[in-house]
Amino acid sequence: MLFRQVVLYALMAGLVSGLLLTAVQFWQVIPIIQSAEHYEEALAETSAHSHAVHSHDHDHGEGLQRTGLTLLSNVLIGAGFGLVLLAAMVMASFKTALPSRTPWLHGVFWGAAGYVVFFVAPAIGLPPQIPGAEAAGVEARQLWWAMAAVCTAVALSGAVFAKSPWRWAALGLLVVPYLMGAPEPSTTAFAAYPSSMASELEVLAQRFVAATAIANAFFWLTLGLVSVWALRRIVMPTETLPVGEHQS
Amino acid sequence: MKNQNSVASTSSFDSAKSVTMVPKPVQLAAAVLLGMVILYGAGFANSAVVHDAAHDMRHAAAFPCH
Repeated sequence: MLFRQVVLYALMAGLVSGLLLTAVQFWQVIPIIQSAEHYEEALAETSAHSHAVHSHDHDHGEGLQRTGLTLLSNVLIGAGFGLVLLAAMVMASFKTALPSRTPWLHGVFWGAAGYVVFFVAPAIGLPPQIPGAEAAGVEARQLWWAMAAVCTAVALSGAVFAKSPWRWAALGLLVVPYLMGAPEPSTTAFAAYPSSMASELEVLAQRFVAATAIANAFFWLTLGLVSVWALRRIVMPTETLPVGEHQS
Repeated sequence: MKNQNSVASTSSFDSAKSVTMVPKPVQLAAAVLLGMVILYGAGFANSAVVHDAAHDMRHAAAFPCH
């Protein structure tokens, strides 16, 4: 059954890409998050009054527990994105002549599309933030994030797969989220910090954007390639047995 | 197990074959939906426990976080 195959392969893709993502994150991403948290702690110690803005506790454990939870989270988004990506790839493959020989290069294209839809497009309006940075309300940002992803997905799939000569017009959707504008905080990102710390945090924040851009590119490339591997295995039986499902 | 969503047979002419009644696009849409539920739980759910567990991933994957 197609559903079960897609789910199983997406779980595998999630495991592989999530493991790799976690490894890549330990190179720069995680160290930057931890540095930013040291600033948060320093701020909490120096200021006598409690900061309502940063009232959340970092109660996510330390060391192995924290790493394990991050690994689990990465595998989960690997599986979640993998399900969406692989289902889209299988859907698109119905029209192709030999889906079981889908070139690996297509994995690069699909991975790049996923990277643009789910990382680049939302990140243009809402760059990945280090802990402690000011931001607008989380719900407003989540809504905007989802809208940016949906607009970009529809724009790209419309331009690539639609049959109409007007299909390129779908690309116009790409700019809609930015015309509407991402939710902005009322102050600068590190207004709560003394100016010397704030300028260091600005540098850290820029490094974080670069580090996450690289790490997520690795993640999506892996997910795209593993999904091609899965696609080639999933669609094989339907070619030799054109009527109905394959018999396992 | 594989007959969960299938009718047992199409009739006498092919009793060994089970034909899936759920169209492929619907199965794929179900897979996408499942993926979105997982993504919502890991990336968006605002419960404190989930947030803390997924904290570093959310920051790193550019999901909106606290």
